[in-house]
This record gives sequence, C-alpha cells and structure tokens, in this order.
Amino acid sequence: MDPLHLNEPSGDAFVFLVLFAVVVGGPLVVEKLKIPGIIGLFLGGLLIGPHGLGFIGSGNTTVFSLGKLGLLYLMFVAGLELDLGLVKRHRRSVVVFSVLSFAMPMAAGTVAGLLLDFGTGAAILLGALLASHTLIVYPTVKSFRLGSDPAVATGVGATVVTDTLALIILAVIVGSTEVGASSVEIAIQTGLGLLIVAGFSFLLLPRVATLFMARFGSSRTNRYVFALVALLSAATVAQVVDIEGIIGAFFAGLALNRLVPNEGDLMHRIDFFGAAVFIPVFIVSVGLVLDPGVMAEPETLRMAGIFVLACVGGKAIAAALTRPFLGFSWSQVGVLFSLTAAQAAATLAVADVGKQHGLFGNAVFNAVLGLILVSLIVASVVASFSGQRVPVPPKSPTPTYGDRVLLIGTEDCLFRAGVAALAMRLASTDAGVVLPVIVAPDGDSMPGFHEIEKVERRLTSVGVDLPVTVHVDGDSPAAVQHAITSLDASAAVIDDPSGEWLNVVQTGDVPYRVPLLIVGAVAGRCRRVVVRPDPLAVSVPVGEIARRLAPARTTVVIDDSGAGGSAVETGTTDLVVSAVGADVQPNGAASTVVTIV
Amino acid sequence: MSRPGARHLALLLMALMVVACGADETTANRAAGTFRPARPGVLRVATAQVPAPGFWQGTVANPTGGFEWGLAKAFASRFGLALVEIVEVPFEDLISGRLAGADMALSQLTFSEGRDRVLDFSTPYLPGKPAILTRAGARVNDMETAQAQRWSVRRRSTLERFLNDKVRPTRPVQAVDTRQESLDALTNGNVDAVLLDLPVATAIASTSGGRLEVAAQFPSDDNLAAALPDHSSNKDAVDSAVRALATDGTLRTLADRWLHVALTGGLAEDIPVIQPPS
Repeated sequence: MDPLHLNEPSGDAFVFLVLFAVVVGGPLVVEKLKIPGIIGLFLGGLLIGPHGLGFIGSGNTTVFSLGKLGLLYLMFVAGLELDLGLVKRHRRSVVVFSVLSFAMPMAAGTVAGLLLDFGTGAAILLGALLASHTLIVYPTVKSFRLGSDPAVATGVGATVVTDTLALIILAVIVGSTEVGASSVEIAIQTGLGLLIVAGFSFLLLPRVATLFMARFGSSRTNRYVFALVALLSAATVAQVVDIEGIIGAFFAGLALNRLVPNEGDLMHRIDFFGAAVFIPVFIVSVGLVLDPGVMAEPETLRMAGIFVLACVGGKAIAAALTRPFLGFSWSQVGVLFSLTAAQAAATLAVADVGKQHGLFGNAVFNAVLGLILVSLIVASVVASFSGQRVPVPPKSPTPTYGDRVLLIGTEDCLFRAGVAALAMRLASTDAGVVLPVIVAPDGDSMPGFHEIEKVERRLTSVGVDLPVTVHVDGDSPAAVQHAITSLDASAAVIDDPSGEWLNVVQTGDVPYRVPLLIVGAVAGRCRRVVVRPDPLAVSVPVGEIARRLAPARTTVVIDDSGAGGSAVETGTTDLVVSAVGADVQPNGAASTVVTIV
Repeated sequence: MSRPGARHLALLLMALMVVACGADETTANRAAGTFRPARPGVLRVATAQVPAPGFWQGTVANPTGGFEWGLAKAFASRFGLALVEIVEVPFEDLISGRLAGADMALSQLTFSEGRDRVLDFSTPYLPGKPAILTRAGARVNDMETAQAQRWSVRRRSTLERFLNDKVRPTRPVQAVDTRQESLDALTNGNVDAVLLDLPVATAIASTSGGRLEVAAQFPSDDNLAAALPDHSSNKDAVDSAVRALATDGTLRTLADRWLHVALTGGLAEDIPVIQPPS
C-alpha cells in the first residue's frame, strides 16, 4: 500500500487558492515593470483560466458569481468615492466638459460601430462604453498635490455625468433587446424603471441609512454589512424593474456618498474589502474569459485599434477643447485627458453586460479588453508627464470648514450627543469627516481604554466614523492647538457645558488658525440655533458657519449684539453654543473670532 | 448646474435615448458574431437520438417539442434562418467530431478535453451536474450508500469517468452503449442506479409516471453545450446567442417547460446534494 496517497489538487479550496494567488501576485509582478496593477489581474485571470492553465474551468460558477458581486461592488464604490463637493464647486466647467467628454467618444464610437457593420443598438452601446471613464490615475494626479486643481475637479465631476449617461444608455439598449416591445414601450419601461431605481436610491436609502446608523450603527460590523445590504437592495430593485443591477449599485453609491465620507472608517472598510477581495476577483473573472486565440485574430486587433482611436481620440479632442472653452493650460489639458481616457470599471461593466445580453461577441469583448490595456498605459504615462508640469494650486480662498472637523472633549465632558450631531452637520455640508479628540493638560488623569471604547460606540451611533484620539500638552489650549495642527483640522467644535473654554479662549492670546465653535448648553431637540459673533472679531465667517449648522426645520438667528447680549432671548433656544476662534485669511494671518450662542 | 448646461445635457440624453430605443437588436448584429449556415437559410442540427425525453419529442422528420428542439428554433430565429433541419448521428460519431455536415450538434453533450480536440464547444446552455436516477423509493443520499449501488452508465461518457474517479463504486459498473440500455436495466432491476446529467435525469423521472426518481445530485463544473465543427467560424455568434437566450429568460422558460427542473447555481433546488470526497 502506498504510504502517502497524493491527490491532484482540486475543489473549492484549490480554486480559491489560485484565485487569490493571482489577486496578490498579479499586480506585484506587473508593477515591477511599471505597468498598472489591474493589468496583472487580467493577465493572471488569463493564466489560470480555461484558455491558460485551466485551473478554473469555463463551467466554474463560483468565481463568476463572486465576480458579479465584485462588479456591483465596483460600481457602488465608484458612486461612493466621487467627491460631490468638488463637482458642486466647479459645476460650470463640469457641465461643459461632461458634454464634450461624453459626446466626442460617443459619436466616434457609434460611427465606428456602424462602419464595422454592428447593429444600431450595439454601435450606440459601443459609443456609450467609450464615452465612460474610470478615475484610475486619480491617485497619481493627487500625488502631485493637484486634488483641488480646477482641471482635476472638472475631470472628477465629469465622471459622474459620463458614467451615469453611459449606464442610462446601457439600460435603454438592453431594454431594446426585449423581443416584441415597441420603441415607445421600451422608452416608457426604461424611464419608469430608472425613476423607480433613482427614487429608491436617492429618497428611501439615505433615510433608512440614517435611521439604521442611529439605532444599530454603534457596531462597525453592522455599518459595513448595512452598506452591502444597501448596494444589493438597490441592485435587486433595479433587476426587478428590468434595469441592470450595476445602475442600482452606482445610484446607491451616489445616494450614500454624503453619509459615508471618503476619509471615514466605514469608507476605509468598504475600500479595504473592495480592494482586497471583490474588485480584484471581478477583474480576474474577466481575465478568465480572455482568449488569446481570439485576441490575436486580425479582426479583433483591427477592432481594438479602431476602439482605441475612437476613445482616446475622442477624449483627447474633448480635453483639448477645454483650452478655448475653459481656459486650461496644455499641462492641465494633459492631466484632464489622462483622467478621462483611462477605461476600466464602467467600460468593463458595460462591455460585460453587453456580452451577457448577446449584443457583443467574444471578438468585440476581447477588443474592448485590448482598449482597456492600451488606455491604462497611455493614461498612466500622460498623467506622470503632465502632472508634474501643472503648478500646485494655492489653498482655496473660500475655506471648506467642514472638511476635517475636530470634535473636542475633555475627561469631564466626553461628547454629548447634541454636540456630536452639530459637528456632523458642519462636516456633512462639505462631505467631510469628524475627528473626535480628547485633550488634556500634561499630568491630568486620562479616560481608560474601556471608557474610550464606550464613547466611540456612542459616537458611531450618531455617524461619527473615526476612532477617538487623545492629545496631551502643557495645557488644554496648547493641546487643542496641537490637535488642530497635527490632524490638519478645518474647524473645531468644543464641548463646553460649563463655559470654561469660552472664558479661556476669549481671555487668552493664543491665535487659532481655524474657527472654534464652543458649545454650551444643549437642550432637547435642536429647533433654533443662535449664532453670536464675537464683538472683537475683525471678520467673521458667521454666515458660512450658520448655513452649515442649520439642519432642516431649524431656525438660525445671527445675533450680533455682542457676546452675552440680550437681543436674542437665549432661554427660547434649544441649542446654546459659544465659540471663539480664528479664521485663516488668504494672507495666512490669523484674525477672526467667531462666537455662536 | 447652470441652466443652459443642464439643458444641453438633457437634450443630448433625450436624443440618445430616442435613437437607442429605436434600435432593434433581434436582427443580425455583426458585433455579436456572424452565423454562416452550411446551407443558406437553414440551420442543420445533429442529435444522437430522437425522441430523447425532455430534449427532443416526436421524430426526426417531425419534431414536436423538447428543450433542445426549442433551443434550435431560438437559434434559427436569432440568426434569421427560416428552417431547422434535424439529422440523427450516432453519439460515438458526434463525440468524434463527425457531425454529418450539420452546423451544430445539440445532444446533451458535455465538454471534455478529449472532445474539445475534435469539436468546438459553445458557451454552456444548461448545467450538467451528475445526478443519480433510481427506482422510486430508493434512498441514495450519502456517499457510502452511493458507492454500494449497482451502477449503470454510458460508455465513453464524461459521466463514466466521474463515476469511476469520484464515486468509486464498490461493485462492478455496467457500462453500456446507449442511455436506453441503462434505463432498461434500471427498470428491470438489474442495476440500482444510473448516472445521468441532471436535466436529463429530471426529464426522464418526470415522464416515468412516478416509477423513477432523481435521488441525489453531485456538484461539478460539468455543463451541456452546443458542439460545433472544429475551428467553426460560427462559434462567436453561437456563444452570443446562448448568452442572450440565458439573459432574456428563454433558456429558463424552456427548462421549466420541458425538463421540469428549477435550477439555482446549476443545482436543482429540491434534490439532495452528495459531496464527493476531495
């Protein structure tokens, strides 16, 4: 008898082993060659797939099901990560460039499709596929500190519009494959379907999310699983009304965008699982169907060449036209081109759905994958070349107070719910985050680990999504200064029921480089906020602050009769806030003091 | 958003939707591959046996129903072909790549590496998990019981390899040339169990008048697919057609109607699953 009986490796464990070996190893190998990691995932999929070593057969359903979930996840994250604040700030250039960036490749792609003898629907879908883009080189551009450059903001904003339009076209084309339906019926069905998905995503989902987070959000696991449920429910609603699930997933991401700040803990978790499992598995699953035999065929190569020409050419013309229309420099045009020429998520999604519906065959699908490979390489090279030639933009003259709001408490006062909610309101207007901080003078006692954990759970339930940090310095004002600087805060909210802080800050001569909002009494549900500017302040961004603090159905009154004045009867207010701080002026001088009562 | 900008976007979208809604994708579309039949206007389909319960009903000259007959008609409709012609070709010939001039074979064929050397297989149209067909009342729902059965299986099929490699029966296996021989042996009590592709097994059980039943199924990656002549230029078009028929629900409708099986992830929902040892 054989003492050691060896079996050929097989089964689910082996399939997942080779899958995740590619997820880990694929990007590492190609990045050594200065090629984007995503290409390593494609090639890894090809290697282990039925057209490669055959470790994962064409009949395998597990990897493809996981890949489908990855596709939904990818679109959800795309919606979630978009910086809607940037879109809002540069809305004019976003609209102009969105029209150009969508129309040029759309027209070129459709004409190319018709010349290649595609059906009308397939040609239009090809146009939509080429018109979308994925911000895959955004991290490269950001590494040049160009995140707030108008051209970059325009490119980011255009992603919302071009991808949404591409997905709507997809919905219409897929609807048109319904046998026996007239054009009018298709238009009505698709329009109604999109309305239902949009209504579910933008009206119902954020409300349910807010309620859920308030009730069950203290557990980080619950928060993450809720995000998954939100994504899957929107995709299911879409599927029920005959719209592609990826549209529901994208809408769900957009709808929860403000509730899940990019720098928050929940977003980090969503990103982590997306980057580690779901999205790479989707890309590998696409690589599994890559067929080198088909890719090397002259017909596929010819189509890929035409797609590259239509897509990269269309995106280049759109970017170049921003010079006369929006006054961008050539370097900015280069950055804008690199941001919008890269094809990955939406392109893959549309191509995949087109393939599943039998609109695209293997040759077209493989040609699209060829386009993705070329576009990623071109975009990466242009981003590196142009990015370093664009000057770093100056700090915005209109500060976004809500970007990074410090929520400051002391051992005596560990964040009352009303104060945390106020900080959340300030942050949410600018899609920012709240960073809870406990400050203490050196030598004072500190809250213990369990106490901090309890506070974190409580804060999580009101939407504060980052862990509590502790800052110790010579005295409390110095600790606040320390926290503001080290955490790069844009504003600070101090929980101060006793009024001690107001006194310390008003009488002290320490200049603060961000507005401080010192919250005194909080009574019940906030219906009326009185904002009282400090009479000593030179210039006060009270209007801006008040606008951010005002939730729906809340009255905001600006009382400029002086701190502690009597123009407004504070006894009638539910929220009593006193705040002192300095706003950084464009020249960098700290000069402004704000008081809110 | 500024009003003119929003107006331009809305106009662009409306124009695209109007054009897109008018697109008719049921007719020929080169993006999905081009199908060129051997005889103009006719889809010639080879199959091993007519009738085959659930898959082909009637006769070769006058087919009246069945999953693969419905599939052949759906293919013809998508490729814009007016006629479907059936040719009966022995199973041995089919798996050896001899399709008698047919454009494709629809004969409950499972992909295997050996067959792939002489044929081109399309995207799968049905899962082909191995399933155990027994006489009614027999309980075969664990591996030990399965190994103890007297088995019959079609010779040279992928199922024969699965039975010997994965199930590893403890009693001699009766390998036969046709499916009918296995079914006769089962009905006569000469064997206890027959290994078949799941949809074939459910179709036979549903037409047996309650005498036979599907006792269990095995998870596997096997699927049923159309077989095309080796290096066929029609593969892309057939693959696209199978995907389109899967997505628009045609395959599910045909499976519900002719095979009486509801499939989730390739497995029948109400039939026990036996996990073979790894």
